[in-house]
Amino acid sequence: MAGGRDYYEILGVPRNAGQEDIQRAYRKLARAYHPDLNSDPAAEDRFKDISEAYNVLSDPATRRRYDAFGPDFRQIPEDADPGAWRRSRAGAGAGAGAGRAGTAGAGAGGAGGGFSYGAGGTDVDIEDLFGGLFGGRSGRGWGPVPGAGQEAELPLTVGEAYRGGRKSVTIGGAGQRTFEVNIPPGVTDGQRIRLAGQGGRGSDGARSGDLYFIVRILPHPVYRVQGRDLYLDLRLAPWEAALGTSVPVDTPGGEAKVTVPPGTSCGRRLRLRGRGLPNPRGKPGDLFAEAKIMVPPRLSPAERQLFEQLAAASGFDPRRRQ
Amino acid sequence: MSYALIRTTRLDLGAFARATGTHPDLIRRLAALGIIDARQGPSGELWFPPGQVAAFARVQRLRAGFALNYAAVGLVTDLLDKIAVLEAALRSSRRPGDYPRG
Repeated sequence: MAGGRDYYEILGVPRNAGQEDIQRAYRKLARAYHPDLNSDPAAEDRFKDISEAYNVLSDPATRRRYDAFGPDFRQIPEDADPGAWRRSRAGAGAGAGAGRAGTAGAGAGGAGGGFSYGAGGTDVDIEDLFGGLFGGRSGRGWGPVPGAGQEAELPLTVGEAYRGGRKSVTIGGAGQRTFEVNIPPGVTDGQRIRLAGQGGRGSDGARSGDLYFIVRILPHPVYRVQGRDLYLDLRLAPWEAALGTSVPVDTPGGEAKVTVPPGTSCGRRLRLRGRGLPNPRGKPGDLFAEAKIMVPPRLSPAERQLFEQLAAASGFDPRRRQ
Repeated sequence: MSYALIRTTRLDLGAFARATGTHPDLIRRLAALGIIDARQGPSGELWFPPGQVAAFARVQRLRAGFALNYAAVGLVTDLLDKIAVLEAALRSSRRPGDYPRG
């Protein structure tokens, strides 16, 4: 069952839509949500719903029965009169008419004995879902078909990428699934983590596809990430930059000291070798502290005097042509 | 009796047909059409990289889902592969906020 939602709603057509409108809506949605064209894990359930809705509404006979009896129409005997059924249901509650449960709707062929999506207990044959549009021509004869691969984003902070470890991630729309993902230390942006057999479901008991988590490293207030290298701004007072100093900086692995050589100008990159993100297969990344010279926004009289003295004594011209 | 000197990871026609649950004739036809990737051995026998089992499953799903003929399936799978490469390149290129300045 398509999550209890109305088939017309799923296809986005009005109840009085013509067969052509239904087909057009189905084709458009199928292109958007087919598991091979849309690797979002939620797309597969959506595609299943769309196919089921089309399967029912594309056949005028099943559509009439769906209109008359609603989503449970497969449980209603085929010769039931809609008016009488509704009256008996209103009178005797839900019991009436349920005697022949499992009677398949005309053309829907629930007796395929193949793969069942099982959620609502209704026997839905995958060949009907995939082959519904084509009069049963296409799906037949293939046998079991393995499922498609799926992709989901895995947003990680710089700290999580540095340390690695397990992370609980929930994906999917209607059929939400939670995974404990093992993150190796030092994953990089765009790297794929494979969960074998957790992707799209196969038909007829064929194996499922793989699920890939694509690592996305979230923007960090301090670090900028490029591959395994980290960049951060190292704020310096003008005299620190001119005279040199040693400044403690926070790295993901703990505090480290950066030695600022005398005569450091803005933008100079000071490398802390190996203090970037670790690399399980080789050299770890580096951490680059970029000198950024800050001046006091307001000068005290003493500071002003000293700067004026410096300006008068210095022959340095930063704009001089080399 | 011959022994493989290295562990082979490729599949012959029979193994590929069993793995995909299809008739070898159909596999041969799809290989001839270039829809699945096959290598030819010295005596003309076909060999398949194991990844082609998944590729073949995609061919089946696309054909069933969109009533595509084999030429169209080939085109669609080629385009999907191209898109996957482009998307990966797009992901690995930096986002504006992550760029190191300077």
